[in-house]
Amino acid sequence: MNCFERRTSNTQHSTSNNRTSMFDVECSMFDGRIGVVLLAVFLFASADAHAAEPVRLTTDGSLKRDPRFVENGTKLAYCYDEGPDLVRMLQMKMEDRSITPVFEDAGNRHNLEPSWSLDGKWIAYTQCTGNLTARLVIHNRADNADAFITHAGRGGTRSPTFSPDSKTVVYAFAETGPQQLWSVDTAGKNKKQLTECSGITNWPTFTPDGKTIVFANSRENNYEIYSVSIDGSNERRLTENTIMDIRPRVSPDGKRIAFVSTRDGNYEVYVMNIDGSGVQRITKSEERDDYPAWHPNGKQLVTVSERDGEFDLYLFDVESTQLALGN
Amino acid sequence: MIDFGSFKARDCGGSTRRSFLRTAATIPLAMSAGLPTPEAIAEAKSRAKAKSVILLWLWGGPSHIDLVDPKPDASMDYRGPFGTINTQTTGMRFTELLPRMAARSDKFSVIRSMVNSNNGHPGAGTVGLTGFEESPGPVQPNFGAIVSKHRGQTGSLPPFFYVGRGIPRDLPTRIEGYGGGTLGKAFDPFLVSASDRGEVSIPTLKMMPNMSPGRISDRRQLLTQLDEERYRLDAAKVEEWGHKYQSAYGLLTSAEARAAFDLTQESAKTRSSYGRSTFGQGCLLARRLAEAGVPYVQVNWSEYVETFTPGGDWGWDTHIYNFELLQDRHGPIFDRAYSALLDDMTERGLMEDTLLITMGEFGRTPRISNRAAREHWNQCYFSIWAGAGVTPGRVIGQSDPKGERPVSRPITPLMAGTTIAELAGVGAQQRAEMKVLDGGSVIDELF
Repeated sequence: MNCFERRTSNTQHSTSNNRTSMFDVECSMFDGRIGVVLLAVFLFASADAHAAEPVRLTTDGSLKRDPRFVENGTKLAYCYDEGPDLVRMLQMKMEDRSITPVFEDAGNRHNLEPSWSLDGKWIAYTQCTGNLTARLVIHNRADNADAFITHAGRGGTRSPTFSPDSKTVVYAFAETGPQQLWSVDTAGKNKKQLTECSGITNWPTFTPDGKTIVFANSRENNYEIYSVSIDGSNERRLTENTIMDIRPRVSPDGKRIAFVSTRDGNYEVYVMNIDGSGVQRITKSEERDDYPAWHPNGKQLVTVSERDGEFDLYLFDVESTQLALGN
Repeated sequence: MIDFGSFKARDCGGSTRRSFLRTAATIPLAMSAGLPTPEAIAEAKSRAKAKSVILLWLWGGPSHIDLVDPKPDASMDYRGPFGTINTQTTGMRFTELLPRMAARSDKFSVIRSMVNSNNGHPGAGTVGLTGFEESPGPVQPNFGAIVSKHRGQTGSLPPFFYVGRGIPRDLPTRIEGYGGGTLGKAFDPFLVSASDRGEVSIPTLKMMPNMSPGRISDRRQLLTQLDEERYRLDAAKVEEWGHKYQSAYGLLTSAEARAAFDLTQESAKTRSSYGRSTFGQGCLLARRLAEAGVPYVQVNWSEYVETFTPGGDWGWDTHIYNFELLQDRHGPIFDRAYSALLDDMTERGLMEDTLLITMGEFGRTPRISNRAAREHWNQCYFSIWAGAGVTPGRVIGQSDPKGERPVSRPITPLMAGTTIAELAGVGAQQRAEMKVLDGGSVIDELF
């Protein structure tokens, strides 16, 4: 928990105490047992309502995407619209909320969808290199060297993510038909296609043991979320409805998956168990909530949420939010 | 906040109505010939069902199948990954990318049988905005120029605005049919842009880097600088220069224009309802211009068609990342901005006499490409119509089960332009006198 969160929690606790005192006095005028019951109900509801309030991490309101906690949760990387024609990658130091570019010399190319390896040595991201062309970049932080992964013709890589052993990057690309998952090692060698699916495949994410990949695919009329062993066996469909379920992100303990769905009318963030059971809603707004990413503590999620037309990063406490929403 | 060229108008306190009148008397009209008289303007306005026209120009070619004409029963290589949702209109479904518009579909009608004769951006853009293909000489005028010539200028605001970053173009080529065409450059649009924070700027005046708030009320200083700019231009451009700068200067010194451009006069709730995007804030600016009596406003989604390229500003030309971009950026921004504009105009009673049209130059291939995206497709696309007597809540025209071609009467840009002109009071006789929209017919199904 950082300083801002502690401050918020203390304030909320104080407010709850004040309300409790007032309520106590009023209840003493009635039957004591009723008062105790009502008091308990009030305290429960009040505490949940406060705990469900997310922490707003940014206030600039620019269009944002792709948040990722990195370096053991001490930093939060994300992308934002620096102008009407440029997407930049930034990183926020969680300790003091200071924000700096991920790369000082990024030039005028769109850089997006950053992913950090768990060992902290590599950053993979998608870089626009020309008209209708984007490549995967794997940046070696120690050597400040880049490996560029390209495919023939125009097109663009999507959604790179590292395997838990930090040796492989899995990403999405459409080379000669439906968009598939590909893998490449951190040196940019041994590129190979992993899937052969119909429909659009995107947003790969590993379980912590590295044995399973969770992803979304559109073969069943719309995006659904699936899991599959890395050898291609045991594919399992985890969601089933008539609208999109996208951007799955496996929790650090491997037990849950955060994802985005429009099942309740607009983009909202949900969490389900790793087998697809127990879907619970995390956000509830008439505006957009998108791009969930787990904090390494496994208890919090950061999202890009639109509020009053402004796009900012918000930190949600998963458990208390679930309670507050009646999940 | 208003950014007039290179400075912020909010800091400028020296401009007065008196200074405008003095200057208006000393700077001759650049193109007075051919402009309607005040009496003719009043008569034209009284005949028009649409006092103002707002065209939302979705430059680059938005996918019809992924937005307002989904094909959920088509095979996977056609239908795309998006689910579909009900709308308020019987028999019409949208994709899940447009939930707000779906909830408001009883306020507009959708044409699903648009066709364009051209399949390249600049050429199709010219057809889309003029009704005709490019020609060796001057092209036919933009629909806005036709309305502009007929309705003329009242007050200090030009009659034809472009809201956006620049004249629509692709990387190598500017669209030919952007402006006055055969009617002359006097009827070109006046370009004004809004940032995603609602800061309004006039790109024309960025040519005058030394302009400052203190100098704007100094007429002699301004005229000297304008003359210096004139000498920098060759003779062929003087006419264009005169028109642009006369208009720009009029705006600089007009309280009416300043008020129309000042989005901070809107409540925070209204501004935020349009969304934090250049398109959203541009839609809000368009509403203010229409409210101020401007006859024609074209809001350009982007300057460039290119959607994912260095320097590109996210046009609808989604040859790659079609589904990701529509889902991440284009769909939500469009859905929010359009819905806010519709709500705002309805609440202000503007829909009675304002025509709101939304279209691009074409659609995108129904069959998904081998890059998991969609290419250009001029043989079937969509437009959306609302206000000014258009019967709302209808689906007009029908595409085949794959979305490849209309199975009902094809609707052309020439028909769209003729309908716009008719509603704006430019009748058949006036069109014939102007030699524009020849052979066009009104889209009767809209009424």
